[in-house]
Amino acid sequence: MSASLSIREIDKIYQRRGRMPVHAVRALSMDVEPGEIVGLLGSSGCGKTSTLRMVAGFEDVSAGSITLGGRRIDCLPPAARNVAMAFEGYSLYPPLTVRENIAFALKRGRSSASDISKRVQEVAALVEIESILDRYPNSISGGQQQRASLARALVRDADLYVLDEPMGQLEPQLRAILRGRLKHLLKDRAMTSIFVTHDQTEANALADRIAVMEGGVLQQFADQRNLKETPANLFVATFIGEPPMNVFDASVARTNEQTTFNLDNGPSFSFGNNDLGPEVREAIGNRRKVVIGVRPHRVALGNGSSECARVVSNQWLGDQSHLAIAVAGKLLVAVSHVRIHAAIGETVTYGLRARDLHIFDPETTIALSHGTRAA
Amino acid sequence: MVQIEIHNLYKSFKDNAVLRDLSLSVDKGEIVTVFGPSGTGKTVLLRLLAGIYAPDAGTISLRGQDVAGAPPEQRGIGMAFQNFALFPHMNARDNIASALTARKVGSGEIARKVEAVATLLKIDQVLDHSPRELSNGQKQRTALARALVADPDILLLDDPLRNVDAKLRYEMRLELPALLKRAGSTVLYITQDFKEAMALGDRVAVLLDGQIAQFDAPARIYAEPASIGVAQLFGDPTLNLVEVEPRMVDGTPEMLVGGAPIRLPASYAAASGGSYMLGLRPECLHLIDGNAPGTIPIDLMAVTPLNEKSVLLLTTADGRELLASEAGDREIPRSTGPGRIAVDFDVVLLFDRSSGRRFVPIQNGVGI
Repeated sequence: MSASLSIREIDKIYQRRGRMPVHAVRALSMDVEPGEIVGLLGSSGCGKTSTLRMVAGFEDVSAGSITLGGRRIDCLPPAARNVAMAFEGYSLYPPLTVRENIAFALKRGRSSASDISKRVQEVAALVEIESILDRYPNSISGGQQQRASLARALVRDADLYVLDEPMGQLEPQLRAILRGRLKHLLKDRAMTSIFVTHDQTEANALADRIAVMEGGVLQQFADQRNLKETPANLFVATFIGEPPMNVFDASVARTNEQTTFNLDNGPSFSFGNNDLGPEVREAIGNRRKVVIGVRPHRVALGNGSSECARVVSNQWLGDQSHLAIAVAGKLLVAVSHVRIHAAIGETVTYGLRARDLHIFDPETTIALSHGTRAA
Repeated sequence: MVQIEIHNLYKSFKDNAVLRDLSLSVDKGEIVTVFGPSGTGKTVLLRLLAGIYAPDAGTISLRGQDVAGAPPEQRGIGMAFQNFALFPHMNARDNIASALTARKVGSGEIARKVEAVATLLKIDQVLDHSPRELSNGQKQRTALARALVADPDILLLDDPLRNVDAKLRYEMRLELPALLKRAGSTVLYITQDFKEAMALGDRVAVLLDGQIAQFDAPARIYAEPASIGVAQLFGDPTLNLVEVEPRMVDGTPEMLVGGAPIRLPASYAAASGGSYMLGLRPECLHLIDGNAPGTIPIDLMAVTPLNEKSVLLLTTADGRELLASEAGDREIPRSTGPGRIAVDFDVVLLFDRSSGRRFVPIQNGVGI
């Protein structure tokens, strides 16, 4: 257990007869520490599942290498990799009960019958399938099959746990508890794990670090806090966060004392040199155009704010307010855990603080600065 | 002024009693979200209102008129459904205009109205596209535009954002209330998403087991749910439920939670001696330092960050699992292990264990 995983410059190219090949994963490199939980996050077609299948051994790598616990595994068949898997297409054995399916994973080891039975019971309790242990796979629901498959992977002693949308089909009430239990188990036993999901809520909840993928390319590999506070580019900035960052095209005007961002068809925001800081000013350089962003949770409202805007909507969800105001022909969304009282059509004051400002290059979309630091 | 009045409505399909004695009254210009899990009869209710189904018993009045027997086209209702239902051979513009052509509106007037509603819904760029050239989000908005363009005074929307991707769905959630208010219609809006129900509705009608379980302002339902069933439908994560048996200790009602005594306000005295479920919203549980009285010893098992909150999985001394959530601009790094939590009660939610109804605290002899 507790092996490290190292992925080096892997590519996946699907050759299709008579058609253009598909380059599903491009020069992907990432290192997973022993005992670390890593989530591969992206929309469909981003390359995350191809990556997972290459790690598990269901797909060959077109180029590059995969090393697990110091062993090169990309040339080994799946069974020889000592990787435990729970994913689609790796289904439960229909002739075996759920209990036998889970226990089967342990039979190759040298566990005693009573030890096997105890471990099956424990993992079944963890994913709430105790009541269906003696049922056959085709007589249980899709969600239960998924959890049985998860249990079958978790019960093993493996170098790596590879999981596909581990909480995908659960009802929300159970999901929050099971996420906590799964994370506790993985951390408690230092089980190195890699999972894919299209759901950032799931990625945030479970992963120590998240690899955000798009177009077969790794966009950023960081913990959830850094993804939000220092997104590498506009894709990550507008993908991560619920709701994601507000972004606006702006032109830059400089004097000796301050820098002004004129939002296209919208207001201007000026920051003194001391506020913005030398790193940010240098990062902007001579650019005349930038994209500026602010996260919904960091929009300053009320007292001391400089700008006015009309409220388009104000929605209280029981534990947070979502306020949308009309800025530069778009909606600027602000979120607060304290209830905001403002009616639709009313005018509110808001502002952007230098420390909450994210600046991106409009051509390359790469981040230039976050707050007062260069990116 | 009441615009939609439903009295004692019953509807069954074979042996399946879908709606059982349902009553609801909606004011003019009000947006009411009808919210409940799937299979509770939301769509059946809408179809009864539209005149697509006839009720087994009960009455429906629209604008003060009983509409029993009136066919859908005579009810003057605008509708949009989750499965778009656009005419495939017409482009988006003609689909939207189809709601007006039957009404003898001049062609210049039609063109103007279609443009205006399309601009509001941000589909003015795709008006010449046929339905198969539109994305799901665009189809949905086209269907919505068709419902809105005729300025119906009553609008029935059946989960219109269901097939829209998450990002657009969020944007639409922000923009729809203003749009609907501008049109001035009385709206019944069906949804399975509690956030949408709270965000869009002036009032939320919670539909459970074929009946309205609660009908109130969203914030009120969240804070003071009428029953366990209602309480569990709201919140992310939803509330924790713990069995408690309040009793009087030194003249004050008190209950044991996770082995620790927690005092209740005096208005809960009447609950002593009963068996209740205590509902604890995750955001009302706070990890604290120290060992103050009225706090509960716990083991922090896991921290699962959730969208600007951290959800904490805790176990109490008696082995019960609780979820707490910490709001915060920056998540506080927490290490797992023993600690204590305080319960911050806005309203103490006690539910009768047999009926599931919320215990209403009594102050000066009056329920509060």
